[in-house]
Amino acid sequence: MDLYYLLKIACYPGKKGMAISVYEGGEELMKTKYMLWILVVIFTAVSCSIQPANDGPTGELTHIRLPMGYIPNVQYAPFYAAVEKGFFEEYGIELEFDYSYETDGVALVGANELQFSLVSGEQVPIARAQGLPIVYVMAWYEKYPIAVLSKTEQNVKTPQDLAGKRVALPGPFGANYVGLRALLGEVGLQESDIIMESVGFNQVEVLATDTTEVIVGYSANEPIQLKAQGYDLDLILVSDYLDLVSNGIITNEKTLAEDPELVERFVSAALKGIQFAVENPEEAFRFCFKYIEGLEDADQDVQFEVLQASMELYQTDPYGYSHPEAWENMQGVLLQMGLMKKEIDLEEAYTNEFSQ
Amino acid sequence: MKDFGVGIRKIGFLVLSILAGLFLWHMFTTFSQIPSFIFPKPIEVWDRLIIVLQDGSLMKHALITLQEVLFGLMLGLSAAIITGYFLAKSRIVERVLSPYIVASQSIPIVAIAPLLVIWLGPGIFSKILTSALIVFFPVLVNTVVGLKSVPRELYDLMRSLQANTWQRIIKLEIPAAMPVFLGGLRIGATLSVIGAVVGEFVGADKGLGFLVNVGRGLYDTALVFVAVFTIVLLSLGLYGSVLFIENRLLSWQKRNGD
Repeated sequence: MDLYYLLKIACYPGKKGMAISVYEGGEELMKTKYMLWILVVIFTAVSCSIQPANDGPTGELTHIRLPMGYIPNVQYAPFYAAVEKGFFEEYGIELEFDYSYETDGVALVGANELQFSLVSGEQVPIARAQGLPIVYVMAWYEKYPIAVLSKTEQNVKTPQDLAGKRVALPGPFGANYVGLRALLGEVGLQESDIIMESVGFNQVEVLATDTTEVIVGYSANEPIQLKAQGYDLDLILVSDYLDLVSNGIITNEKTLAEDPELVERFVSAALKGIQFAVENPEEAFRFCFKYIEGLEDADQDVQFEVLQASMELYQTDPYGYSHPEAWENMQGVLLQMGLMKKEIDLEEAYTNEFSQ
Repeated sequence: MKDFGVGIRKIGFLVLSILAGLFLWHMFTTFSQIPSFIFPKPIEVWDRLIIVLQDGSLMKHALITLQEVLFGLMLGLSAAIITGYFLAKSRIVERVLSPYIVASQSIPIVAIAPLLVIWLGPGIFSKILTSALIVFFPVLVNTVVGLKSVPRELYDLMRSLQANTWQRIIKLEIPAAMPVFLGGLRIGATLSVIGAVVGEFVGADKGLGFLVNVGRGLYDTALVFVAVFTIVLLSLGLYGSVLFIENRLLSWQKRNGD
């Protein structure tokens, strides 16, 4: 607004009838105008010099905005730790966290507006089938993190026990839905064999209030929260029945082809963060306080348990590696579900080139 | 004959405006080379529309949303008219309820929609209530304003004619408040669609809001466009219906004006 005002004054040629006008020989005003022009030039130069670059190095650091796909959460401790321990800086990267929707992150990377995003595994084949040129370059979770859980009185011990049950999940999309359908498919059940209820991200509440009988959620989140509230639960892990490609880092074909060194730097820093968090969970947890508002007031034990449960999911061997069978399985599930109309070339969808 | 000519010209301008919009859209998406998953071309949206029309999925989801909207509108209208009448008639009721009503309007509907799913379950009722809540306020305000704008002399006249309460409501208050009330209904009808769609966004497996979610989840932006255009059509249809009702109910005003 101030700049606009300055520009307006500096550019305005003066009007007849104004108290002082350049046309009326206002020398003082002329001087003021020159001063203002100089100020504008200095202001613009300074503004340009302090603006962070989004797609190139700023000094020695490359600014990267990373869509995380979810709100600030302790599960992101490895990334917080990697920043706080200076791993990203060490690899010449200045990291900015972006907590927008997962699908937005995928679309932005696909359009080469951003270079990287954190996504769940099923998004890669789905997006590639729609023509998004994204490539999965680093596995973060080894096991697919989705679980089906119910109060013990429901007696849902195996996937077969889901038949006829009311099963709540955010909606028929995303990792929860894919995980549920994969689990049902493994034991020969159809979606029509259960009563599926779309409740948004309110699974904990609807199970606690008995609005539903079974819920689908992240094994490192909902079960721990519910157990902390004193509920006895039965848990069925999708990963116990089927190996599916899980959460990881994507980039796009352009970045991979034109700047593989950036991908390598980014993945190396992220993997270093994961390794650090696995080896130093307490310290990694402490870094979360800076990034997660309200964590001080939350139940610390529960939150630390969420982090530890997450860590069990992401101990890939070697770090960053995704299994070809997991990709084949994922594609099979998605084709069977109708979320993909045709097969894609999985060789183009991921690479283990950067795993350690 | 003159009216017919004006009508034809209006339609002509509308068609031209739509064609120009489609042309600009086509040129923009073609020459900017924006990928389809970011901004699809009109022809891609058209192709997607044909597919969802042929497999019946668009109609199925649109009917669900329409059902939620109509029930939401009925519920919101009834609550607003009844509350509005008492607010207009009783200063005590107005003083007691006004703070709550005004405060309730500062709550974003997207913030309470998830709670409604928890309280009322994932079925259709939570969407009806979201729709009703968003309809309530504009209709309420216009009901109160409409009733309060009835001239005092007309009440005196009704009293001198020894009209009972029912006659006063039917013969005086409803006709007098109708123009302002219908203004509120026009806003409410459009908002009711937004309310239902917000409810579907939060947790649903049916409806146009759900279809938008599916489109986003599958990076099928053409499907998102189809769903959004259908939502717009639904809103326009409701708005047009209210205008039609308004023209019929207020024809006496026009006649008097002539």
